[in-house]
Amino acid sequence: MKTGFIGTGAMGRPMIFHLLAGGHEVAVYARKPEAYVPLREAGAVACTTPAEVARRADVVFTIVTTGEDVEALAFGPEGLAAGFGPGSVLVDMSTIPPGTARSIADRLAAQGVAMLDAPVSGGEVGARAGTLAIMAGGDAAVLERVRPLFLCMGKTIVHIGGNGAGQVAKACNQMIMVAAIEACAEAFAFARKSGVDLAKVKEALAGGSAASRVLEVMGARMVTGDFAAGIEARLHHKDFRIVLDEAHALGAPLPIAAQVWQQLNALMALGWGKDDTSSLLKVVERMSGMAEA
Amino acid sequence: MNIGFIGLGLMGRPMALNLIKGGHSVAVWARREDSMQPVVAAGASACASPAALAAMSDVVISMVADAPDVEQVALGPQGVAAGARPGLIFVDMSTIAPAAAQRIAALLADKGIAMLDAPVSGGEVGAIAASLTIMVGGPEAAFETVKPAFLCMGKSATLIGDAGAGQVAKACNQILTGMGVAAVAEALNFAAKSGVDGGKVREALLGGFAYSRILENHGQRMLDRNFKPGFKAWMHQKDMRIVMEEAHRLGMALPGSAATAQMFNAMVGSGLGEDDSIAMLKLLERMSGGEG
Repeated sequence: MKTGFIGTGAMGRPMIFHLLAGGHEVAVYARKPEAYVPLREAGAVACTTPAEVARRADVVFTIVTTGEDVEALAFGPEGLAAGFGPGSVLVDMSTIPPGTARSIADRLAAQGVAMLDAPVSGGEVGARAGTLAIMAGGDAAVLERVRPLFLCMGKTIVHIGGNGAGQVAKACNQMIMVAAIEACAEAFAFARKSGVDLAKVKEALAGGSAASRVLEVMGARMVTGDFAAGIEARLHHKDFRIVLDEAHALGAPLPIAAQVWQQLNALMALGWGKDDTSSLLKVVERMSGMAEA
Repeated sequence: MNIGFIGLGLMGRPMALNLIKGGHSVAVWARREDSMQPVVAAGASACASPAALAAMSDVVISMVADAPDVEQVALGPQGVAAGARPGLIFVDMSTIAPAAAQRIAALLADKGIAMLDAPVSGGEVGAIAASLTIMVGGPEAAFETVKPAFLCMGKSATLIGDAGAGQVAKACNQILTGMGVAAVAEALNFAAKSGVDGGKVREALLGGFAYSRILENHGQRMLDRNFKPGFKAWMHQKDMRIVMEEAHRLGMALPGSAATAQMFNAMVGSGLGEDDSIAMLKLLERMSGGEG
């Protein structure tokens, strides 16, 4: 299939490689020219504007940081909307507010372009391994058209509901996952303050009811004190604002998520936004007067 | 002084009336004509637009719901800036985000208009009694010019700092009152669930270190189960959102405020949004297995 891809960061790049490996044409656009080099070598076609990507492709994927970024790519000067023809599909895999996803979908629908919101879970590791979990919102028939492309990038593809529903699922994912990271951070700070070996605690817990992927992956980082990202904490910080904004709009109380958000605020203030979110351990340790590991 | 007043709701109407009582010449504008009626009956002149009102005013005061409303009134088509005479001072007494106040002040400054952000504490009761506490951000000269008008509406007006500083003070006020209401509601619910007379608890505590105006006034209304607003829960929810957005932007942890903001979310989500914020007590009762 003729595809386009915008967003050549830690997540996007391996996803592009998987599309190429699956035999699909990929037209790419990036703000920084150096980003093109490895992609060209792998067979992607470099474009000078988002509109050019849209003209060359039937399905365009975006994976960028904020809702404003997606809006600018879609509707800015020489944006995707200027290049899309009728029947084109925009698949936004970024994590943005559900309301923004719905409004972009509405505006595109007016020109006969379909949109899916299809955020992912699994991180850089999942992107490289092609094992992402993809949660999609939008028209089911459009998802079926795109599914072969999704299968190049991920292993679990679930149609959640209409436009915006994928982003709702992603918000749920972030709530559960980062709250679990905070739970690990508190447990490990508690163990360390008690003078107990973290590695032993982790090993024992991994065999019991508290076992989880977060305990396994983030817990390991906490035990070894390796806080290099992984997923940069500033991205989770950004996502929590989306989650708590939605909670405000819905009148939905999220007592734990609200507390986790505050711990992330503290993490940002301490200058660890570009480190892994497992740095939440250091926030709790600092609050308890412990020297940094 | 020739004062224009925009926003004649629960708060704005008595504030405008107090300005007239103080001997100021007051012009008003409102989207709905009927909301101008009681103020016009007291001697205010009605205007067709914020611009028309600005053209006859030395000072224009706005008291509206949210930042987009302030921006519309100040800078929209037929807004204050479109009709302002040289030297006009724009005073926004609404509660909005400090960053929004700073942005609007900068846009007005480009047009030669000084702005004060001057949010208030004291509620409808304070607005009627002209006993509001007014916290102000902006240029000192503008503050000194407007001060006599402030003192017709409130018992104190304090210049906190530059543009946005008044809103920062108001955010601090909402942190304290939001958590204060939650604390009093939790304590009175704790007493009731323990089978103890909340009225006696309140009376005893008023003499000690837990004394606060919230325990005294709001506590009594909780005991009377008088949940009539006052200050509606959805408005406190809105104000707590401003607080939490600033915390996110600046990188600071506000764990207590975060918990309280979620209680307000629950109130709005469960149909208590139009009640006074002291209906927090009802929410806690529901969470403790009671009827609420």
